Formats: sequence, structure tokens, C-alpha cells
Amino acid sequence: MVTKTEETQLNRLENQVDNGGGGAWEYLCLVKKLKVRRPDKVLRHGLSILNDPKKRSALGPDVWTLYEQVSIAAMDCQCLDVAKDCIKVLQKQFPESKRVGRLEGILLEAKGLWAEAEKAYSSLLEDNPLDPVLHKRRVAIAKAQGNFPTAIEWLNKYLETFMADHDAWRELAEIYVSLQMYKQAAFCYEELILSQPTVPLYHLAYADVLYTLGGVENILLAKKYYASAIDLTGGKNTKALFGICLCSSAIAQLTKGRNKEDKESPELQSLAAAALEKDYKQRAPAKLLLLTSALKSLKTS
Amino acid sequence: MAEDLVLDTAIRDWVLIPLSVVMVLIGILRYFVSKLMRSSQVPDPKIVKEGQVIVRARNLRAGANFISPKSFRARRVYFCNEENGLLHVPKGQAQNAQAQMFSDPNMAMDMMKKNLSMIIPQTLTFAWVNFFFSGFVAAKIPFPLTQRFRSMLQNGIDLSTVDVLPQFVWTEGFI
Repeated sequence: MVTKTEETQLNRLENQVDNGGGGAWEYLCLVKKLKVRRPDKVLRHGLSILNDPKKRSALGPDVWTLYEQVSIAAMDCQCLDVAKDCIKVLQKQFPESKRVGRLEGILLEAKGLWAEAEKAYSSLLEDNPLDPVLHKRRVAIAKAQGNFPTAIEWLNKYLETFMADHDAWRELAEIYVSLQMYKQAAFCYEELILSQPTVPLYHLAYADVLYTLGGVENILLAKKYYASAIDLTGGKNTKALFGICLCSSAIAQLTKGRNKEDKESPELQSLAAAALEKDYKQRAPAKLLLLTSALKSLKTS
Repeated sequence: MAEDLVLDTAIRDWVLIPLSVVMVLIGILRYFVSKLMRSSQVPDPKIVKEGQVIVRARNLRAGANFISPKSFRARRVYFCNEENGLLHVPKGQAQNAQAQMFSDPNMAMDMMKKNLSMIIPQTLTFAWVNFFFSGFVAAKIPFPLTQRFRSMLQNGIDLSTVDVLPQFVWTEGFI
């Protein structure tokens, strides 16, 4: 996750470089370090450095990483000729290289030649069975083809070995949610919460999945996770506030028949509703009426 | 000799300073040689998986309060199950680290290489210093020693007191 200082630094450098000031190389290094996705800017500024032989020689051995970065950005922007040229240069410099082989595979993917790309990755994987990037690219091929069951199978196999890779767990959770396999998605989100318990995004997503699954226990649990999401964001997360109101009304509906004592205090719902109204008054006063009527219907139902 | 010993400037200029410089250079040289001799290890799939399992188990322990009790119990069983739990090591098979060190040929070779790269420069330096720099006094120990240390610390010098260090012992400190 990118921190706030890094974000401000990135924006500052971006503005500086866009408006003609120097510092393109620092910008590219920062983009690479933070792993953000800015293909058009990387392509533009990277090419400006690479096409200038003086700047190229000033970089020294870093020029090859720049070629790699620019080729990936070019493929992201679908400028496949630029990408091919960069890869050709890298191939001349580093024949028989694993990284260049990977780039060729990505180029085949970008062209849409899935079968060739898969063959290339399989042959690379035979030599390096423990390269996580190759595994993930294979999963990406399956996903891009729309072949979700294969993607899930490969991702599961990858996670059997590399089970501490939280990005992979996140990807798997999203695939499961898109396929409506909510129980499995809940498991993946639990893994994410275990590895990074202070990220409110995962709590929120887990609560959504639990609410969708339904059932009194799940909705009770979802309410707890919405509450923790509010806690982690300092009360600013509108979605979580709505979630609490919805959960409370759903629980009230489900337990209407039984005569259980009220375990959950009704304060939480009224507090959440009050916070929502305050938020809407500040940011979207036009919709305040809609909100109050919706909340009223939730309370009465 | 109860009075203070004063170090001759000649000794200081021609012995201490060059010797210190040589010691530092030898340290740097040893670092680069060890870097060259280190063989690149091919990652073993079992070791990678074990490392990842440990990280995941550690996360489970650390974040146990953040997930529901049912899912925590399910994961705990997955790790500690008697038959096929990932972290479960049956009683007979647990090897202690030393046996494993000797049975793994790669690790044994690495250890031997490291030891050799330590011993050989030490012996060479010792012999060289002994040859060149012997026969004069370099330092004074603040606490008294018994006579048994005389042969160890004072090679080639006959002194009544044992609290004075000749040159080569000073260099041993750098190694």
C-alpha cells in the first residue's frame, strides 16, 4: 500500500515532469518502486530518455531496467511495436535470460496469442518452477480468456506453495466473488484480514460477502466487521455506516418471529444513522431527503 | 617496571599505523573473496513452502482475534492436525539441527569453505607479522598476569614483568 508521503511525492514529481521540468528518471524510479500503474506517462517520459543517446549513456547499467519498464508500459498502452523494439534490444544484450523470456511471454499475451504465451510460460516454468511471477502470468492468461475455473485451479495450486502471498489471496477472493462462490470468497478475505488486520478495505469486503451470504449469524458477524471498518477509518466510511443500518434492520426482520432478548443494543443503528445524516448534510445536502426517507423505511421494516 | 612506558614515535610511525592499515585491507579482501566463493543456491520447493507456511501460521497467531472463532479453529486444525497437518512433525522424524547440517552436502561444503577462508588468512597474517615485526614492545596491560602467559605473549623478549605486550600480540586483536 502506498503511504501518504509517497503519494504526495509521486504527484509532485508527476506535475514537475509533465510541465517540462527535469526529474523524469526519478519519477520513473519512484513509479517502479511503488508499483503504481501509469503506463501512458511512463511510456512518454521513458521514451524521451531512451531516444536521447546522451541521456541513455548517462544512466549506465540502469538503462536495461528502463527498457524493461518502458516495454511493459508500451504493452499496457497497446503500442506493441515500441514494446517489440525494446524487447529486441534487451534480447541482444541478454540472450537466454529468464526476465527477457518473461517479457516475450507478456508480449504474446498482449497480442492475444494465448496458446503461444501459455507454451512459452510452461517451458519457462520447467526451468524455474519456483518463480511466482510466471505462475501469476499463467493465471492472468486464463482469467483474460474468461476461463475462470482454470484460473482458480492454477491460483489454488500456486497458493499451496506460496501461501503467504496476500496479493494472490486478494485476486482469488475477487474471482470467487465474481463467480458468486461466496463461502470460498469469505475464506480468502479471512486470510487477508489475518495477514493485514489494519486495512479497512478487507474488513469491508468481508462484511459485504457475509451480508450477501445471509443468515442471522453471518449478518451479526457482518455487523461486527462493518463496525471494525468504521473504527479503522475513524468514522468516515459511508459504505460501512450504511452496512450497519442494513444489518440491523435485516437482523430485526429475521429475529422478529423468535422472542430472543435483544443482544445487540439499538444504539449502534441510531448512531450510524445520525452519522450518515451528518455526513450527507456536509457533502451532499441535495440527497438528504432521500437518505432520511430510506433510513426511516429501514427502521420501521 | 612501575613507571609509565612511553611509546617511541618511530615504533608508532613504522609499525602501528602500517599494521592497522594492513589489517583493515585484509578484512576488506576477505569479504570480497567470500562473496566470490559463495555459490548461488537454487531454491528448494520444500524449503520455500515451509517458509511460507511459517509466515501464514504466524499471521494466524497474530491476527487470531480478528476472525470468527469457527474459522480460527478450522485453520488451527489444518495446521496441527494429527495426520496431515502442515506443521505437525511426527515424534520420530524430528531431527535436530546439527544432524541435518551434516547430512545436507551443500550446507556442509559451505561451512567448510567458510571455515577455510577464515583460517588461511589468519595463519598467513600471523606468520608474516611474526617475521617482520618482532622484538619490541607495543602495549601495556593494565592488570597483572601470571608467569604462564609469558610464553604466549612475549615471544623473543625477556622481561621481568608480564604486563607488557609485544607487537605481534597487538595484531592478534585485529584478527
